Amino acid sequence: MKKLIILFLMITSSIAFADVKAVATTTVIYDLVKNIGGDKVDVDYLCRGNQDPHFLEVMPSYMLKLRNADLVFKIGLDLEKWLPQLIDGSRNTNVQIIDLSQAIDKKEVPTTKMDARYGDVHPYGNPHYYLDPVDVKIMAQEVFNALATQDPENTDYYKKTYDDYIKKLSSKIDEWNRKMAKVKGEPIVFFHSSWIYFADQYGIKIAGYVEPKPGIPPTPSHNADVINLIKKGGVKLIVMENYYSDSAPNQISRLTGAKVIKVPVGVFGMDGVDSYFKMMDYIINQIVNNS
Amino acid sequence: MKKYILSFVAVIALLSSTYSQSNVNPDISLIGTFNTFTDLTKDSPNKGKLIFETPEMELFVDGYLNPYAKATGNISYEGGEFSVEELYAEIVRGLPLDIQIKAGKYLVGFGQLNIVHAHAWPFIDRPLFHQVYFGPDGFNDIGANFSFILPTTSFYSNLDIGIFKGDAIGKNEVSNPNDAQSIIDHRGRSPIFIGRLGTFFQVSDYGNLGVGLDASYGLHSKTNFNLTGDFTKPPVTENLYYTYLGLDFKYKYRPDDYTALTIQGEGILNHRDVLRNGFYGVNSFTQNMEKINTYGAFIYIDYLFDKMYSFGAKYDYTNGILGDTPAYNTLSNDDQNNTQGISGWFGYYPIEHTLAFRLGVQHLIYNYANGASRDPSTIFTLQMIFSLGPHKAHPF
Repeated sequence: MKKLIILFLMITSSIAFADVKAVATTTVIYDLVKNIGGDKVDVDYLCRGNQDPHFLEVMPSYMLKLRNADLVFKIGLDLEKWLPQLIDGSRNTNVQIIDLSQAIDKKEVPTTKMDARYGDVHPYGNPHYYLDPVDVKIMAQEVFNALATQDPENTDYYKKTYDDYIKKLSSKIDEWNRKMAKVKGEPIVFFHSSWIYFADQYGIKIAGYVEPKPGIPPTPSHNADVINLIKKGGVKLIVMENYYSDSAPNQISRLTGAKVIKVPVGVFGMDGVDSYFKMMDYIINQIVNNS
Repeated sequence: MKKYILSFVAVIALLSSTYSQSNVNPDISLIGTFNTFTDLTKDSPNKGKLIFETPEMELFVDGYLNPYAKATGNISYEGGEFSVEELYAEIVRGLPLDIQIKAGKYLVGFGQLNIVHAHAWPFIDRPLFHQVYFGPDGFNDIGANFSFILPTTSFYSNLDIGIFKGDAIGKNEVSNPNDAQSIIDHRGRSPIFIGRLGTFFQVSDYGNLGVGLDASYGLHSKTNFNLTGDFTKPPVTENLYYTYLGLDFKYKYRPDDYTALTIQGEGILNHRDVLRNGFYGVNSFTQNMEKINTYGAFIYIDYLFDKMYSFGAKYDYTNGILGDTPAYNTLSNDDQNNTQGISGWFGYYPIEHTLAFRLGVQHLIYNYANGASRDPSTIFTLQMIFSLGPHKAHPF
């Protein structure tokens, strides 16, 4: 009984020590908030690292996570269409929604009226900016600002953890730049249109996509087009998120010799990838080593 | 009424085309359903013929009224007629104790399936007991619901309590059509009460389980005869009550975005006062008021694979004979006969959330307690559903 009471006190006290309760919609954001918030922030996430963040099933367990949250961090740009339903279900009146895309230089913002014939196009721009580490610096700044505003007493603490994180991130960016310089100008076929920010940052040429339109499953006729494109363009790699089916890429690979690389685009997206740094390490090493 | 609805649709269409870029406009979605079927029942007049049903349509308009409340309208076109399927407002946040209030006309939270629009079910045919106890359009009623989240921290649980008009509950009839005047249908004239206790468990990283207990209670009819049996005295209106008790579960295992296994089941106990054994004497007529229990249940399994294909099977049971003529055995006061159904389906969803094709078969078996026989029915249905617009996904 005594042990149970001690355990109970430990659990409740650990909850009580966290000054801010936060929920991140994705594990990339979770990793950022965890690093900057340290032990002052109790943070959880909704979409697992190996899940497609475009489609998250609206489940009550997510509402429970959001119920007592002070802050919810999201990618924005219409990626998390499921979030309003979850927030409503949580009945949390006081939660602040922090959209990390606010200061991002957005790419692929439609300039004409878009509809479903163009696939799953995001009307406010491509939301996959977190695959460009330089944009993650901007995300980190937003996280710091939100935490310092929510919990001003610990601003100095957050400033220190933020500075530490930016220092490490800058060092990793230098390392990734050096590695990716070897593949600058390389044409790559990607599965989904998640890679524009990454490609622009490292000078990768996006030769095409396995999806005929964003979010539309591969079709035989489009696969034939991609095969021609790979053969003519000398493409060596097909890079895809590991939560998509590799059936079509593998078929294309068999007919062209291009190598299929499945990479995690979320923290915890595969075994051993437990931070944003490790996720980007994995992606970059795979591309560089297989080009 | 039809003119008003058509005018409303026209105004919405106009607003949508004129101001579609505005962020303050509500979401507008259109769901279309096309069914084609062939009836293979022995001696059916349409046996083997391909029957094209009139297309069905649902027009959803929904959005936030303010930071605290939302509103939804759903106009349906079914069987050649327009009707207001749902029209309600919800206060979703800001109330004491985090209560949510939903008021208007809508699909009532009795069980987990009833609140899901039929176009989002993995199968084609409405469960048999829903048809008997809730009606052909499900438990859709006018009223207000108060929803509370319970203070369980490791799993989600909520308690819903509602008061409704009572139009949708199963009608009561006497077993002999000649005695029809001895009972007054009181549905919709006295409020009914509905409660639900629901819990949700995350069983594993990929498996989730929702379970619930449901109850509904109210007055469904009144007697219309003199209990002494004397014709010369005025009729007495004794109240006849019903109680529905329900149990439901849904388990979904979704290891990745391409595969999902769903097993869902619901059961109902219908406990109600009924009139039985009408007896005509000289200048007298008597009926006995009895309490009966009847039952219904369904369970199905659906397996989604490769993101765009699914197949599944459903077993149905209900007291009462579905579609019988005359209808006195089809209703919720039949504790003698039953109908059982077996269904199977194959689904094809080429683009998620926008198009669905289903081929289904339902085989119904009718069991009469008095030994009467009726040929089983077998119906094949081909269904196409499209979804235009941002109609929200239904929660787990």
